[in-house]
Amino acid sequence: MALLTYLEAIRHGIWEEMERDPSVLLMGEDIGAYGGAFKVTAGMLEKFGEARVIDTPICESAIVGAAIGAALMGMRPVVEMQFMDFIASGFDQIVNMAAKLHYRWGPAVPIVIRGPSGAGVHGGPYHSQSNEMWFVHTPGLKVVAPATAYDAKGLIKAAIRDDNPVIFYEHKFLYRRIKEEIPEQDYVVPIGKGVVRREGTDIAVITYGAMVWTALDAARELEKEGLSLEVVDLRSLLPYDEETVLASARKCGKVILLHEDTRTGGMAGELAALIAEKAFEDLDGPIVRVTAPDTPVPFAPPLEEYFLPNAAKLAEAARKLAAY
Amino acid sequence: MATNVIMPQMGESIAEGTITKWMKKVGERIDRDEPLFEISTDKVDAEIPSPAGGVLTQILVKENETVAVNTVVAVIDGEGAALAAPAASAVAAPKPDVAPSAALPTPSPAAVSSALPAGAPSVQIPEGGEEEIRTSPLVRRIAREHNVDLIQVKGTGLGGRVSKKDILDFIEQRGATPAAAPPPAVSAAPTAPPAVTFTGAAQSVPMTPMRRQIAEHMVTSLRTSAHVYTVVEVEMTRVVAARERFKDEFERRNGIKLTYTAFFVRACVEAIKEFPIINSSVEGTNIIYKRDVNIGLAVALENGLIVPVIKRADEKNFLGIARAVQDFADRARSKRLSVDDVQGGTFTITNPGSFGGLFGLPIINQPQVAILGVGAIEKRPVVRDDAIAIRHMVYLSVSYDHRVIDGAVAEKFMAKIKTILENWDEAVL
Amino acid sequence: MGSTKTVKSSPRKASPDAATLERMLYYLKLTRESESRIENVLYRQGKIVGGVYVGRGQEAIGVGASLTMRPGDVTFPCHRDFSVFLIRGFTLADIFANWLGRADSPNRGRDNTIHIGDMKLGIIPIISPLGATLPVACGVGLVLKQRGKGNVALVHFGEGTTSLGHVHEAMNFAAVGKLPVIFICNNNQYAYSTPVEKQFAVKSLAVRGPAYGMPGERVDGTDVLAVYDAVERAGAHARAGKGPSFLECVTLRMAGHSAHDAAEYVPEKLKQAWAKKDPIQRLENLLLSRKVMTKQQIEELGTQVSGEIDRAIAEAEARPLPRGEDAVQGVYCGPDCWWEKPCP
Repeated sequence: MALLTYLEAIRHGIWEEMERDPSVLLMGEDIGAYGGAFKVTAGMLEKFGEARVIDTPICESAIVGAAIGAALMGMRPVVEMQFMDFIASGFDQIVNMAAKLHYRWGPAVPIVIRGPSGAGVHGGPYHSQSNEMWFVHTPGLKVVAPATAYDAKGLIKAAIRDDNPVIFYEHKFLYRRIKEEIPEQDYVVPIGKGVVRREGTDIAVITYGAMVWTALDAARELEKEGLSLEVVDLRSLLPYDEETVLASARKCGKVILLHEDTRTGGMAGELAALIAEKAFEDLDGPIVRVTAPDTPVPFAPPLEEYFLPNAAKLAEAARKLAAY
Repeated sequence: MATNVIMPQMGESIAEGTITKWMKKVGERIDRDEPLFEISTDKVDAEIPSPAGGVLTQILVKENETVAVNTVVAVIDGEGAALAAPAASAVAAPKPDVAPSAALPTPSPAAVSSALPAGAPSVQIPEGGEEEIRTSPLVRRIAREHNVDLIQVKGTGLGGRVSKKDILDFIEQRGATPAAAPPPAVSAAPTAPPAVTFTGAAQSVPMTPMRRQIAEHMVTSLRTSAHVYTVVEVEMTRVVAARERFKDEFERRNGIKLTYTAFFVRACVEAIKEFPIINSSVEGTNIIYKRDVNIGLAVALENGLIVPVIKRADEKNFLGIARAVQDFADRARSKRLSVDDVQGGTFTITNPGSFGGLFGLPIINQPQVAILGVGAIEKRPVVRDDAIAIRHMVYLSVSYDHRVIDGAVAEKFMAKIKTILENWDEAVL
Repeated sequence: MGSTKTVKSSPRKASPDAATLERMLYYLKLTRESESRIENVLYRQGKIVGGVYVGRGQEAIGVGASLTMRPGDVTFPCHRDFSVFLIRGFTLADIFANWLGRADSPNRGRDNTIHIGDMKLGIIPIISPLGATLPVACGVGLVLKQRGKGNVALVHFGEGTTSLGHVHEAMNFAAVGKLPVIFICNNNQYAYSTPVEKQFAVKSLAVRGPAYGMPGERVDGTDVLAVYDAVERAGAHARAGKGPSFLECVTLRMAGHSAHDAAEYVPEKLKQAWAKKDPIQRLENLLLSRKVMTKQQIEELGTQVSGEIDRAIAEAEARPLPRGEDAVQGVYCGPDCWWEKPCP
């Protein structure tokens, strides 16, 4: 076992896959000599060489496109987006080329596009986005968002081994803030399965990413008030774990859907519809969403604080729902 | 074998085309791929080659006629455009980006298919609850599973809502407690009105449409009729006894509950027959006597009320009345009353006693001229043969319109009802 | 269309043998007539639905380029390059079946026209947002270079496409990495209704080659031998590890943008001038003058081609349409891959 940060866990995961499978290669801006803007790929150029750790020009579309080309030739490219906000520059390649290729003519596109996303670091509108829903809405892709160091390593491995294009959302706020004992041996966290992080009985809080920690904080506080929260970590957004979501919703009868992403068109809407559709008779109260408002992510600290959900806001929503 | 010749789609947004020229006449031979006709569309003019070789047997669309894409314009070697697709070459629906179905050819014009593809996930519609009580799907399900009448459950949730805890507590405590006097008539007991959240000293909440209607009706009625009230006290001993003796068998035999309401309705019907003025309305300076006795029963709803009407109650026997009462009770609760159900009443009975009131002074239900209020049936000490006796008693009040009903008439009407009830002998079963 | 002084124009070196010349004519004719059947017959009969795009007058580019390919090379033909699919090994019946949206076809009904590909044949198809293939070609080139077997990637696109960001990112990426990619631009002078004057500000696109750090050459796109020669040289350059090239092959789009476009915006005089440069006519004349083929042989070739097409269309039409419910299959690749099973 090793005590690793979330970031280190990702690095270990990529490193192990690079060792295990010579067809894995990395592409991205500043990932080689510099080791990546966040140092996720530090040491890899030295270890694996220029052919497998490729520093590219600034051209997200070309990077993703080239990854697709390499994948068609039998490689397993892992592309880094320096910030997931910049993934928009490669949007066409992702949604029109990668996502639809297998459906249209058959070959696999085993690429991973990974990068830091999320707010809470005073990054402003272009270094803080949670834009996962652009891709959750695109059939043919897979989208994952680990919340723990253990899952980050297990899921990056799963993503690299998956034959489909996987968009891998790392949360930059968690990079160095969480540490966990990580097993040294090979393990994989399956894509498409969520997990109950904390068992509870009164309200099921379903969430992902950094908000999982927010939910756990709120749960600890509310327990003192006699309110028992169950916290579900989705881990994967496409495909997502319907069974786990519904089981918790049914068990508690009251649900709060929590995410840092903006409200309209967010994952909460999708889950609310699912729960209303399939667990209607188990609901003892309205399905509640706690999300960011529908704005770009603002920069100044008071603005960002207002924008982001936090444990206090979640707790308030939980108390209100509990009283219903 | 016949082949349909269709108007092709020259361009993704094109919906129709005009035949500008036929190169062949009916009866002439044509080879496959030989030019057969010319068309003109918004985008382009084109010569159209024949899809098959054979004899042109039918021209269905003339020169200069415009038809929708995929319309059959001619037939080769056969009869009737009604035939199905030409062999082998199946034609897909005209707007592939709108109509998902590309499987079967359709000889009909550009019909946009709205059918879901077969693999589409099915829509799940959960069964709705029936209660008017304020609660949740989960609680309704628990109530169903445990045969709990939610009217009896005290709600401690927001606004008096029956929460999961409430019903689970209720089920736990429920046991040997026998039911009290059965809930009278058809009133579905409303819960407390929704709590108001104050953001200031006063909070403005707009009226619901039902509330607006009731408000309007009530003040109009007071302005219209000359309201006078009288109250009588009725001994219900015989009625109670009849009910007690027969209620189980009644229910078993007829599948409906034996309620006090049926007794009151029957009594009113008989009394109205003797005093037809009660069954009238006023139009200007005319009194309109109504032939049919249509008894309305006021049903309390959450935040309002509704009055379903037993039509031609004078033609029904006791069982018929009881059935109508039960039916209205069920349908009022589940909000399945129709417009017809609440129209045409000539007399109304209301039940201030259902919440324990001794008697009430109701407002006449326009355009009627009288309304009966039934108080709570209670055991009270009364004087019988100069001694104190404990009897089931009820106060009946009538509000009547003194424009057309005088006090003497009203009091005799009430005396008649009293007599019927106190001497009840009609067969119940 | 003045000459580009900044661009080198190497003397023609490649000299295909008689067999190759005959193959060239065969594919030119097969392409021309197949596309004619698609545009003028099947589409107008309502048997082909959706969009129809042909490369009339531009056939020399696909033929000339593809006949230079060696085993292991990968090509990215676009919608005007019908011949490439035939030359690389797709059957006519499969191509027609794809146009007709049949279940048993390379796209199994999921995509239309010639968005077809097969890694075994070394073909990767376009997506309708054109230009997106250029970066993909760079990825292919990257791997080919690493494998060191001297293979190249050829990517076809039009002059209109060169206005897109993808193209510039890809050219830069390829040049920086010295990737073995041949950028073959079919400048047919019209992008839908947009003439070249409204598409770019340079007189010739060939200058973009040197602008990104690679050779650029302007080629007569109606001369199949000129194309063959230019691509052969660019291929040699790439196979030797010297990196990408940019070839601007000039033609005129002799049909509308699509089958429902009458292209009235193309001046009649221009059409007439370019009709004289018809690639099939030019090659036939050359074959006759060099006595590689006789007039009769050429006619017989025409008949043979017609017969092949008749048979292919008949076979394709006989294949059934896909079942509606199969629309939800094959979205993801996995252990039980739908695409790896025989077509339902």
